Amino acid sequence: MLWLGLYFPELPLEVFLRGTTDRSPAAVHAVRDGRETVLRCNAAARAAGVHPGLPVPAALALLPRLRLWPRDAEREQRAMEALALWAWQYSSRLYREPALLLLEIGASLRLFGGMEALLGRIEAELPALGHAARLAVAHTATAAALLARERPGARVASREALLPWLEDIPMARLSADPRVRQLVRDIGLHGIGDVLRLPRPELARRVGPGLPALLDRLLGDAPDPRLPWQPPPHFLEWLELPAELDDREALRFPARRLLLTLCGWLRGQGAATQHLRWHLRHPDDQPETVFAQTLLRPERDAEYLLARFGERLQRLELPAPVRALGLEVRDCLAFSERTAALLDAPAGGEAAGEWLERLHSRLGPRLTGLCPVADHRPERAQRCCAPGEAGARSSWRGELPLWLLPQPRPLRVRAGRPWHRGALELLGPPRRIETGWWDGDDVARDYYLACNPANERFWIYRDRRGGGWFLHGLFD
Amino acid sequence: MAAPLIDKLVAEGVDRRLLWRGRELHSPGGDVVPSGWPVLDDCLGGGWPRGALGELLSRRGLGLSLALPLLARESGAGRWIGWVAPPQSPFVPALVQGGVDPARLLLVGERDAAEGLWAAEQMLRSGECGVVLIWPGHLTSAQIRRLQLAAGAGNAIGLLFRSLRDAAQPSPAALRLRLLPAPLGVEVEVLKRRGGWGGRRCLVPLRQR
Repeated sequence: MLWLGLYFPELPLEVFLRGTTDRSPAAVHAVRDGRETVLRCNAAARAAGVHPGLPVPAALALLPRLRLWPRDAEREQRAMEALALWAWQYSSRLYREPALLLLEIGASLRLFGGMEALLGRIEAELPALGHAARLAVAHTATAAALLARERPGARVASREALLPWLEDIPMARLSADPRVRQLVRDIGLHGIGDVLRLPRPELARRVGPGLPALLDRLLGDAPDPRLPWQPPPHFLEWLELPAELDDREALRFPARRLLLTLCGWLRGQGAATQHLRWHLRHPDDQPETVFAQTLLRPERDAEYLLARFGERLQRLELPAPVRALGLEVRDCLAFSERTAALLDAPAGGEAAGEWLERLHSRLGPRLTGLCPVADHRPERAQRCCAPGEAGARSSWRGELPLWLLPQPRPLRVRAGRPWHRGALELLGPPRRIETGWWDGDDVARDYYLACNPANERFWIYRDRRGGGWFLHGLFD
Repeated sequence: MAAPLIDKLVAEGVDRRLLWRGRELHSPGGDVVPSGWPVLDDCLGGGWPRGALGELLSRRGLGLSLALPLLARESGAGRWIGWVAPPQSPFVPALVQGGVDPARLLLVGERDAAEGLWAAEQMLRSGECGVVLIWPGHLTSAQIRRLQLAAGAGNAIGLLFRSLRDAAQPSPAALRLRLLPAPLGVEVEVLKRRGGWGGRRCLVPLRQR
């Protein structure tokens, strides 16, 4: 087995900044030794002299406009959950620890084209999610976690290769047990290497069996049973925005991050989705804005979905500024890579049908197909349907108009003849349509092809009950 | 500064039919699709120009029946038939009777003119629409040129249904036809066509096909 450790040292600050492109000075503070001190700060704050450990009043003296948030452990938890959802595409065995993810990648290496390709891909995607990670690979989960924190960049695949890396790592970084700390102080041990050289029975006698067992798990001498993380059956993720947004275009940025997470979750279960629900949370207990985004076919490519989201935004009126953006997916479908490959256009071109999806996203219900319906009443002989879904059956005979008016229009009668931009001459025998008594919308009409002096041809009928003339269709 | 000005003058000259580009004369017609009406094909130099825009100018939006065989042919080949802002609903039983596959119909009801043009351009450019029928409001020359380019990029046939008044406006469309109702069908006058001179007339007998 091969474990990838991903450690997120900046997580306390990232959870506040992920939703925005604002790079102005920002920091997270927490209580340390009874004082509010800076825990993490961004590059702009560091440039002005703010650094972790600095008391908050001192930081504000340096930078009065510093954006400051108290540490939010709950948000960090949720961010780790989102990271696990995203990472699900790379491993089906995943452990979550505070600020740390562990992925078993031994089984996925071939699928992703080897370790370098896989790590390269993960490292490229993390900034897009709004996170910075330190990576390490080891043959045990415990070692991968330790190395990701203490020796990022390490890649070891065996016990022998691991030992030199452990030599100088302070023992306290592996175990917070006070008895271990005491031991380290008492006999002047420093690194983990020193501890490993002590006989195990002696160690167990002094500090109990916990430490030797931990060392065995670290080296791979003993199994490391843990409860693997399980993905939720539905997807619902929120991204809180550090400042309220009132420009809908600015929603693309947080949307991309949510979509990357979604697509990781979808890929992890070999699925794709056709139905997305977006939630916009507004200030002051205003009701949430919720809108659905329906695609013409299941998809799971984040950039593609983002393009569709962008088009959907065109139809959106923001009732109020947005404080948080949520994405919910409840239905997914099995996704076949083969189908996707068949549908995809050659490199460089857009995927087949993408233009249609783009129209659909932007136009919504104003984009339709038309489907014939088996009914003898012209106004009921067709209905709107989804593009491409119409069946081709229609049993109409005789000469038919190409256009149908939305409502039959009453015609004037002059000298006993129906009139439309001139007296109408009836051509040919009538077509009698008498139907619909069963649904209360019965008609009894005689339809004629008619022509006026300007050679314009119309489809008109005489209502056999009321006797009036109506224009119903146009030829040509 | 000089080159764009010349380009602009040439483009305007071509639009006004004062100038012909040499390459257009040497490739008469280009790629055309038979219209299904032999007499019309004769007038058009073989049929509807593919990858280009055609204008049908008439008093009351005539011309759909002229295009019906084209719609049947293109939908039969699995290509989409786009309808942008039609004045009313096409009657599907008539289209089916004319051989059109209704599963290939794609209608855009218009909210505003800009959105209609956007949709028309997307369809023309897609490479998957055979014909895009467009009922535009007022169009500028630049907008028509843009649609013409999109039709070229997607190898589609764009048909603009415009009013007779628009005949006076110069247009970059490859084909311009003036349509008048006639006793047995529609009288077609070619105002402009690719690789040939305008001025030809024919009567398309819609009634006895």
